[in-house]
Amino acid sequence: MGKIVGIDLGTTNSLVAYMDTATGAPKCIPGPSGSALCPSVVSLDADGSVIVGEPARRRLLTQPGRTIYSVKRLMGRGPADVQSELKLFPFRIDPSSNNVIRVRLGDKIFTPPEISSFILRELRNWAEAYFNEPVDRAVITVPAYFNDAQRQATKDAGRIAGLEVLRLVNEPTAAALAYGLHEKQRGMVAVYDLGGGTFDISVLKLISTGEGDIFQVLSTNGDTHLGGDDIDHLLQAFVHEQILQHDQIDFSPHGELAQELRKQLIELKHRLSETDKVTLRFPLPNGKLFEHNFTRGALEALIRPVVDRTMAPVRQALADAQLSPKQIEEVVLVGGATRTPVIRRTVQEYFDRKLHTELNPDEVVALGAAVQANILDRGVQNMLLLDVTPLSLGIETYGGAVARIIPRNSTIPASAQELYTTGVDNQTGIDIHVLQGERELAKDCRSLARFTLRIPPVPAGLPRVEVKFLIDANGILQVGAKDVRTGEEHSIEVQPSYGLNDADIERMLEESIEYAEQDFAERQLIEARTESESILTATAKALANPKAVELAGGERASVQQGVAALQEAVKGSDYKLIRKKIDELNHATEHLAEILMNTAVQTALQGKKVAEV
Amino acid sequence: MSSPLPIVNAPLVCWSCHERTIGTHFCSSCGKIQQVLEHSDYFAMFDLSRKLWIEMGALEQKFLQLSWKLHPDNFTNATPEEREISLRRSSELNDAYRTLRDPVARVEYLLAIEGARVEGKNKQQAPPELLEEVFELNESLDELREAKTSGGDTAALKHRLESAEKNFQGKLTEVDGELQVVAKEWDAAVDAKADDAKRKGVMAKLNDLLNRRSYIRNLVVNVQKELL
Repeated sequence: MGKIVGIDLGTTNSLVAYMDTATGAPKCIPGPSGSALCPSVVSLDADGSVIVGEPARRRLLTQPGRTIYSVKRLMGRGPADVQSELKLFPFRIDPSSNNVIRVRLGDKIFTPPEISSFILRELRNWAEAYFNEPVDRAVITVPAYFNDAQRQATKDAGRIAGLEVLRLVNEPTAAALAYGLHEKQRGMVAVYDLGGGTFDISVLKLISTGEGDIFQVLSTNGDTHLGGDDIDHLLQAFVHEQILQHDQIDFSPHGELAQELRKQLIELKHRLSETDKVTLRFPLPNGKLFEHNFTRGALEALIRPVVDRTMAPVRQALADAQLSPKQIEEVVLVGGATRTPVIRRTVQEYFDRKLHTELNPDEVVALGAAVQANILDRGVQNMLLLDVTPLSLGIETYGGAVARIIPRNSTIPASAQELYTTGVDNQTGIDIHVLQGERELAKDCRSLARFTLRIPPVPAGLPRVEVKFLIDANGILQVGAKDVRTGEEHSIEVQPSYGLNDADIERMLEESIEYAEQDFAERQLIEARTESESILTATAKALANPKAVELAGGERASVQQGVAALQEAVKGSDYKLIRKKIDELNHATEHLAEILMNTAVQTALQGKKVAEV
Repeated sequence: MSSPLPIVNAPLVCWSCHERTIGTHFCSSCGKIQQVLEHSDYFAMFDLSRKLWIEMGALEQKFLQLSWKLHPDNFTNATPEEREISLRRSSELNDAYRTLRDPVARVEYLLAIEGARVEGKNKQQAPPELLEEVFELNESLDELREAKTSGGDTAALKHRLESAEKNFQGKLTEVDGELQVVAKEWDAAVDAKADDAKRKGVMAKLNDLLNRRSYIRNLVVNVQKELL
């Protein structure tokens, strides 16, 4: 089986990494541009092909109606959940959305997992090109505070991209793994992870045992809709308001103008992390120039609400771990937004500890995912990660209340059994509603799934059905039921409240082939054949050159042999064999090439003065 | 009802190699991970007898040691059957650790596996010795709710409820103390190999304390909700 890669599927950027066994360190894989950051932007071209990453990001300005960013915000959510986001994000939600959001790109409609699958496919291509072999298994990271539906949506995206998702790893935990490998830390560690769209705080205990190092997550908390995006929005809203007041121009988030301004404000935000003062100069459609001086102080005052919103989860996570800030020995910062000085200062003051920022905050999560991938591949055998479920699992009881059956911060996998019976004679079903969240009432919690236990018609109270709720190592719920008296297993059709069913995913996987490039092997074969063609043509031409007579008889024979072998290999479909024959022919023609090269150089130099060379 | 200690398991046969195995977690012949037993109990999983005093350091050590072996990470490349067993075993291990680590959950679990857990018939019914105070508390709660809706003065009521909350928190601590005392009684009964009648007596006491505790705990939560 091929390599397992680690993927950070981020709100703003995505990355793919692997464990470099030669150095024992994880490494990010660069894309064609040389950068390891793939902007999480997807654009649908007019010809129906899909563009991902930096080229798609550029199209935000030219083709905003066919391009989407920050799709992670829509994963595992329903249309009602995202109303507040629509004021600020140019998402074009299609009216056909029901329990799954559907987004319009140009003239086509996609679900968030499909759009994410395009990003995953792109990263997969980067990895395959890098290793020159197929990649079909991955560890993907998710925000620690993602609920069941958001996790399931991420896993679905992997499946649609043709990847077997071996594990979903929580982002702060992945970062801790990368740091643990890097620094050999011990004791209590807090990971503060403020990404593009999500915030997580995790408290871990790092333990050395005879078998190796255990990374035990004690508690986690966060906000899956809080991140650098929100800072951008505060800036945008501020400038929109200024422009509206001074120039009576109203910006809709959908326009190209708004995208251009957003781009400039993000740059301005980054620069204010380095310098104290930046002036925004933005040309308006009325021909005027909007100018505004931003100081770091003013930016900090503007984004204070975002910083403050992160601190409640921090306090809750510490309370759940039964620790005070002083008991935390190390604090790790993750996510691009933690480059902001005011955030660093706030976290530093709260914990009164030096902050760990040694590893690139953009890359550290992907690196940790690669470490976990290697653990699963049994490369690293002296590290074990014990993670927790971020939210309590409950079931609805009489009167719309919630009975908590697996408390938040339980180590996963975790399970709970509930025994059910009937209340009236000949009752044939019991409805079960599963929820996630900390609130007392079902209506305030997140609905995960509903299902009906099928029961044979017998007198009330006679049936005894045990339902087992199990949260697996990915933080995803599995449900099973068993008749206690007969021991017979019941099959359960669980209808997810927000999400795709298996048939949806299968269909999307099929459709995605349309958009995807050819299969890896097929792509390799085409490339190898094309290359063979050009080398065979070049060799034939070279052999026909008058100067080729300088070639010794034996050498000529071996070149001809190489040509014959390659011609034979091209007839088959084994790209590896073709590559081998190309290499052999290249080797055989080295001397011939040298002779011709010298001739060419001599010809070129003839008639030229030395000074011109 | 209660079995002699320590628990002795019936001879087991490995699901994979069909040999007799004496390993609790892994087959002693072929080394394959073993299924969850129909009648396994959390104490036995940690090689503990059914006693209520547990040395937490040793419990954690054992938990980590078993996690190394049973965690699904170890079974990525194993057969689907082994992966499924690992998932069940490690979730059971985590459930067991979560339960035994918490002194109240531990008592509750012990009573459940001993068949001695009887929840209060009517959870709304106050234990007799608390009747008067609960009555007062409910009155204050009603007054506060009324004052909130009619926009009346809530400061004095809140103050009264805060002191009531403190009072009930104190009672909760008291019950926890009593639970510890009776837990020691239980351990002594186990050590002395006491007869069924004696054990049942101790368990009934534990059961009453648990019911009283959950009643007071509900009161405290309700007050806290109104004070938010």
